[in-house]
Amino acid sequence: MTKNKVVAIATAVAFAAGTVVATAPSASSATTLKIAYQGPLTGPEAQTGTDGIRGVKLALDEYKKTNPKVNVVLFDGGDDQGDDAQGQTVGAGIAADPAVVGVLTAYSGPTIAALPSYKAAGIAIISPSATRASLTDPTSPSFGGPVFHRIVSNDDLQGPALVRVAINGVKNPAVFVVDDQSSYSTGLRDVVMPALGTILAGKDSAAKGITDFSATIAKVKKAKANVVIYTGYYADGAKFLKQLRDKGYKGIYAGGDGVLNSAFPKLAGVKAAEGARLTAPTVPLEVANPKSAAAFKKMFKADPGVYSTEAYDATRMFLQVITAGATTRAEVLAAVKKIKFKNSAGNTLTFQSSGDLSGSGLMNQFAVRKGKIVITGKA
Amino acid sequence: MDLSILVDQFASLTFDGISLGFIYVLIALGYTMVYGVLRLINFANSEVFMIGTFTTILVSTTLFNHTISSNTLTGVKLYYTLAAMLVGSMIVSGLVSVLIEIVAYRRLRSRTTNRLTPLISAIGISIVMAEGIRILTSSAPMGSPRLLEKTILATVWGGDIRLDNVLVIVSGIILLVTLDLFVNKTRLGKGIRAVSMDYDTSRLMGINLNKVISTTFLVGGLGTGAAAFFYITVYEVTRFSIGFELGLAAFTAAVLGGIGNIRGAFAGGIALGLIEMYSSAVFGTQWKSITAFVILVLVLLFKPSGVFGESLQQARV
Repeated sequence: MTKNKVVAIATAVAFAAGTVVATAPSASSATTLKIAYQGPLTGPEAQTGTDGIRGVKLALDEYKKTNPKVNVVLFDGGDDQGDDAQGQTVGAGIAADPAVVGVLTAYSGPTIAALPSYKAAGIAIISPSATRASLTDPTSPSFGGPVFHRIVSNDDLQGPALVRVAINGVKNPAVFVVDDQSSYSTGLRDVVMPALGTILAGKDSAAKGITDFSATIAKVKKAKANVVIYTGYYADGAKFLKQLRDKGYKGIYAGGDGVLNSAFPKLAGVKAAEGARLTAPTVPLEVANPKSAAAFKKMFKADPGVYSTEAYDATRMFLQVITAGATTRAEVLAAVKKIKFKNSAGNTLTFQSSGDLSGSGLMNQFAVRKGKIVITGKA
Repeated sequence: MDLSILVDQFASLTFDGISLGFIYVLIALGYTMVYGVLRLINFANSEVFMIGTFTTILVSTTLFNHTISSNTLTGVKLYYTLAAMLVGSMIVSGLVSVLIEIVAYRRLRSRTTNRLTPLISAIGISIVMAEGIRILTSSAPMGSPRLLEKTILATVWGGDIRLDNVLVIVSGIILLVTLDLFVNKTRLGKGIRAVSMDYDTSRLMGINLNKVISTTFLVGGLGTGAAAFFYITVYEVTRFSIGFELGLAAFTAAVLGGIGNIRGAFAGGIALGLIEMYSSAVFGTQWKSITAFVILVLVLLFKPSGVFGESLQQARV
């Protein structure tokens, strides 16, 4: 054979061998189950993912200390960077691992993108933070049933609450709404705008990742708005707020739970962020259960963050059904649907058939004071 | 669609558009000069810009120990800190640009006249740099300390004239005038113009091609580095992907004005900055890119070589 032929055949064999090695399923023991966390572990919103996954790790660590019969570990991966498009690939990867029996998904957009994989595999989802209302609306194309559940209230409750919090104490409010075109953001905006009614002064759509908000701010000024509601996430929300203040805007700035993050006041600047108002269906772990918060601080040498409580509780829900004997995906899903669970704050939770929690929801309001986010009551 | 905002906020939008335009101009210079000399689209210029932005931030955080919550500076300290950041960014960007030429393009010049191969090499090195920085930063954005207080100097016709925007515009003008003088009045500049006019004859005339080409990349890199400094001064944040976002806009500006033509880069950059501002205000920010590219296509349909035409030649520069 000529040299070229030998080289060509050798390359082909190497490729084939490499492909086989790369796709060989990871060997997993029969009694080791996995819980996956799909969220922004890297990227601009990595802080949210870090806060959430630490809640998961805390719950798994406490479970391990009880010397259980069934070993449960964290799935290695799940980083969707909070990006709607990446959710699809990540979801497919998680669903392909046969040891995964439950998933926590952080952001609404990537959840919707990953739903086809999870539905096909029948994996139960308990989301600690995806609030888009359509996920539990049976008439919507992005309905998550039968696999999707969430341990937080949804945007149908958050929209009106955000409006109330934003205009509280403002004489003659003129509200300008900005979204970032992501699935979550447009969903929240669509609930906020009807709740505003006639006091809506204008709206704009600034794509996620944009750096220059000058045109949007020009619109805010023209509309003479004294309240601005941003329905996107904290990385862009901080940039937007900083530029608003630099251009002389002195009104109220309000945001939804996507903006709620300890990194938000740092990125926007302490002076600019002072007084910003936020809503979220979450309870800080220090408030819900100080003992768990102390354990969290000891394990991670850092304070609990946004949705750490909910991620911790959602993982404990999975662990509760696994301890009760569910070990396959179908068993876990069936058990989660019927679950009666006592959360960190001491309340008993059950799910409706749509995937939302039963009972009236929980919505809290927060404010940025001196560079820190503090809870200021119910919204 | 809201045309009334053009009347109401005209001064504000125009001023912001010009400020953004100058940043585009300086990046576009990197594309236009290399194209003029080598007929090559230097895609890696966008990543040179991205590296320049990280360098600017790192100079202030490592050399001067500022953090994102530092106070603003005043007086002499402000001047030399900003100068150090500008010079640092320009030097690093210039060197990276020259390095890219040596690594990605030089060998290909002597081995092939095929235009496609260096283009693919350009895209390749662009991806390598972007992904490298992405891994180093875990895709996270990096914020810059605010060292320059953004005081509003005056309000003209309802538009605020802010200090950092003025800095960008004034410095941009100084850099462009310097570049113009360099290309027109120095020997090396004459060499650049000669090579862009006729590559083979320049070789026959004894012009040192490697020196001219390296200088072109260096000057393009210096301009891009300056653009990176201005970008950080105004926006105070960067990420591994801004090279792609701004590089595409700057390249569009270069083509719009006439690629290979320095005056074209200036006109195209300012025009694009204004178009983006006005279209975002009138149609909505989500239409910004669409409007810019529709205008580009329309211009190219009627004048394929761009508004000012394609060339670095004596008469045009």
